[in-house]
Amino acid sequence: MTNTSHEVAKGPHHESGAAPSALSAHSIVKRFPGVLANDSVDFDVLPGEVHTLLGENGAGKSTLAAMLCGLYQPDSGYITRNGERIALSSPRAGLQHGIAMVHQHFRLVERFTVAENVILGSRDLSFRLNRSELENRVSAVAESYGLPIEPGATVGDLSVGQRQRVEIVKALYQGAEILLLDEPTAVLVPAEVEKLFENVHAMTQAGKSIVFISHKLGEVVEISDRVTVLRNGRVTGHVSGRGTTDTKELARLMVGRDIELTTQRASHATGHEVLQIRDLSLNVGGVSVLSDISFNVHAGEMVGIAGVAGNGQRELADTIAGLLSPTSGSVAITGSMSTDRGPIHARELGLAYVPEDRLGMGLVPSMSILDNLLLTRDRHIVVDRASVQPEAVRLIDQFEIKANGPEHIARKLSGGNAQKVLLARELSGGRSATKLLVVCSPTRGLDVGAIETVRALLDDARSAGQAILLISEDLDEVMSLSDRILVLYRGSIVHETPGESAQLATVGAAMAGLSTEGNA
Amino acid sequence: MRSPIRIVFEQRNETPKYLSTLVPLISVIAALVAGGLFLLATGYSPIDTYSNMLSDGFTSSRGITDTLGLSTVLICTGISAAFAFQMNLYNIGGEGQLYLGMIGGAWAGLALGDRLPSFVMIPTVLLLGSLAGAVWILIPAYVRSRLGTSEIVTTLLLTYVAASLVDHFVYSPGSFFVTKNSAFPQGRLVPDSASLTAFGDTSLYPTFFLVALLALVLYWVVKRTEFGYRIQVIADSPRAAHYAGINANRTTLSVMLISGALSGLGGAALIVGPFGRLDPGITLLGYGYAGIVIAALARNNFSAIIVSGILFAGLRSGGDKLQISTDTPIHIGVMLQGAILLFALGGEAFRRYRIHAVRAERAAQ
Repeated sequence: MTNTSHEVAKGPHHESGAAPSALSAHSIVKRFPGVLANDSVDFDVLPGEVHTLLGENGAGKSTLAAMLCGLYQPDSGYITRNGERIALSSPRAGLQHGIAMVHQHFRLVERFTVAENVILGSRDLSFRLNRSELENRVSAVAESYGLPIEPGATVGDLSVGQRQRVEIVKALYQGAEILLLDEPTAVLVPAEVEKLFENVHAMTQAGKSIVFISHKLGEVVEISDRVTVLRNGRVTGHVSGRGTTDTKELARLMVGRDIELTTQRASHATGHEVLQIRDLSLNVGGVSVLSDISFNVHAGEMVGIAGVAGNGQRELADTIAGLLSPTSGSVAITGSMSTDRGPIHARELGLAYVPEDRLGMGLVPSMSILDNLLLTRDRHIVVDRASVQPEAVRLIDQFEIKANGPEHIARKLSGGNAQKVLLARELSGGRSATKLLVVCSPTRGLDVGAIETVRALLDDARSAGQAILLISEDLDEVMSLSDRILVLYRGSIVHETPGESAQLATVGAAMAGLSTEGNA
Repeated sequence: MRSPIRIVFEQRNETPKYLSTLVPLISVIAALVAGGLFLLATGYSPIDTYSNMLSDGFTSSRGITDTLGLSTVLICTGISAAFAFQMNLYNIGGEGQLYLGMIGGAWAGLALGDRLPSFVMIPTVLLLGSLAGAVWILIPAYVRSRLGTSEIVTTLLLTYVAASLVDHFVYSPGSFFVTKNSAFPQGRLVPDSASLTAFGDTSLYPTFFLVALLALVLYWVVKRTEFGYRIQVIADSPRAAHYAGINANRTTLSVMLISGALSGLGGAALIVGPFGRLDPGITLLGYGYAGIVIAALARNNFSAIIVSGILFAGLRSGGDKLQISTDTPIHIGVMLQGAILLFALGGEAFRRYRIHAVRAERAAQ
């Protein structure tokens, strides 16, 4: 905390001789109950520049962005636009100053067309809308920045990358000069990320300023002109220069210590087949969600399922866990059929399941850690909490869960600690010793420190001979951890490759459906 | 531009313990103050009215025994409502289940006649009343657990059917529940073996202690047993229940049936206690609906329901007696009940949020 480096380029006004910054924040302080979210933060962005806000979850970058666009007001400090002090009392005021935010969760009306979404909220519309004229205007704005969109298309039919483009066009249409992009790559496949970066370049060429918010080091280095690193609400470093930045240094500024994120993929001697899936198909409401899936997972092996969200991952995990009954095909755990026999039977065979939705599915939010440990275990008619108490204390200690004790309510845990409670329960076995672990997006939304711990835990479980099925939308994670990678696309396995020789481009293409360059 | 001062509701991360007792207390006081203003405006002395109510409802020996007697049935309907509410099942038909409990209890008492001893008769009457209450909620419970049909609508509408059923059994000629050839529309009294004796000269029956004990047992069941654990999981997160292999349908069915049985027990307690007969006047008293308010006031905490049930009974019996002892209209008691509920629910905002005023445009100052 103390001597963290400002060594690279100190202070925001390093080009004080040049034109005034397009937007700057001066000594911004923002408090929330019990949290100092921003502690006298300085930040600025120049015209035609990409300035990244880098930090872990909870570092305060979204809070700062929210104040830059008028969503929140700072407790103290002020914001200037082209050197002049401005007050942003609402996002609309921000927009009047040419500042717009593209949120991580899109705010589009799915049933409206692209053009209708873009003009939504504009105040200069006549009562009667002239559809074709509007579409032309929207197209013109989009094309001037090299953002190809189909103004007449219904948003509900568009891919995630295309929807994001609609959001960006909407901001530009509303006259934004400064765009705040909140974790824009979180939802995109690699090809779409590339496309987005091209668009960002086109916009900066046209003199727009981009505030890029991210916690992914690789892309930050690729896209940014300058980087400001936040940790615990404070600026821990300003780093400048595209491509020259050292990711290790950035990681250290972000976390406050050296970290190791690339796990060693030891060549494991894998054992017998723990999970066998044969010709598994699942229809939900007449729609095929999974079709003809067959694969095995061996003891001591980690199989990764890569894919863009919504291609059947959740259903696959739920089917293995006995929560869904397949339309046809079978699931066997440690050689015994578990199809159609429910979650408790699957657990008796040695299944452990860490669902994607931690709080609300894996954990009961209003219950204590202790009660949550009981969720997947055999409870007596009168629940004997006293006998589980020592184990709860031990697990909290062993998994380094930051909590006041076994009575700590799950809802009040941080994301990383909630995930550790879930992993602690699932890895420690309940109805029988854990032989198969199904984990979905185990590190989503966690900060770098917690990601490191969770991955190490998975690695230990694999070394201990457990079979692991890792289902994640984070391609880097699947690529760096898995012994074998399967790509799920529209409910089918379209690609299989050993983890070590997996190529990002090939796996990425398979995730996007192989031949989709045209509309990626 | 906007006004310079804004009231901000900031959600609390944690509710301080003292607020959980302080807020209900202040709510009651605020309701009394509001009621006092109303009394002043209508030309009555709030001091006199309240001291009369306090004495008639709580502090005189007659008053407190009447209150505890009345609270017996109110605690029953209160725990009935709370038992369902805690799992987000809104059984608001406790009123109808109470009528059925009365019908079932009266039937048991009359059908078995004087042949059996009291220690068999009393439990039988209470059991049959509970069973009748459970039967009355069977259809809502079944369609809720299987088809997801709103139990709010079904339980409420069945209350009107239950009221008609009471009328039918009392007013139709030759009914089993009334004396033959009597023109007087009133149920006949159950035999002595099916009646409890009140303590001394009071209207307090031993059923009060049974019901209070039952509330404590339910508290234990929810906190300590596997069944209670399931209820808590399903209430908070049905998806977690599904994940853990907890059968939510079966638990929904059981919880609703138990809720119905508890209201039914309240009806049967009236048979062995003060009423002794199927009395059509029950449909005017609203004991079942009061249970909803009592449960809400106690925030579904079973031990707190004993307190809120007694409080409500006191307000009610104290209010009823006002008309006799003074010329204050009887409705003042009803009005105070309503005021307490409103203030208590409004007070929730103070428990959940921190409320403070800020200057709107601090950044621009």
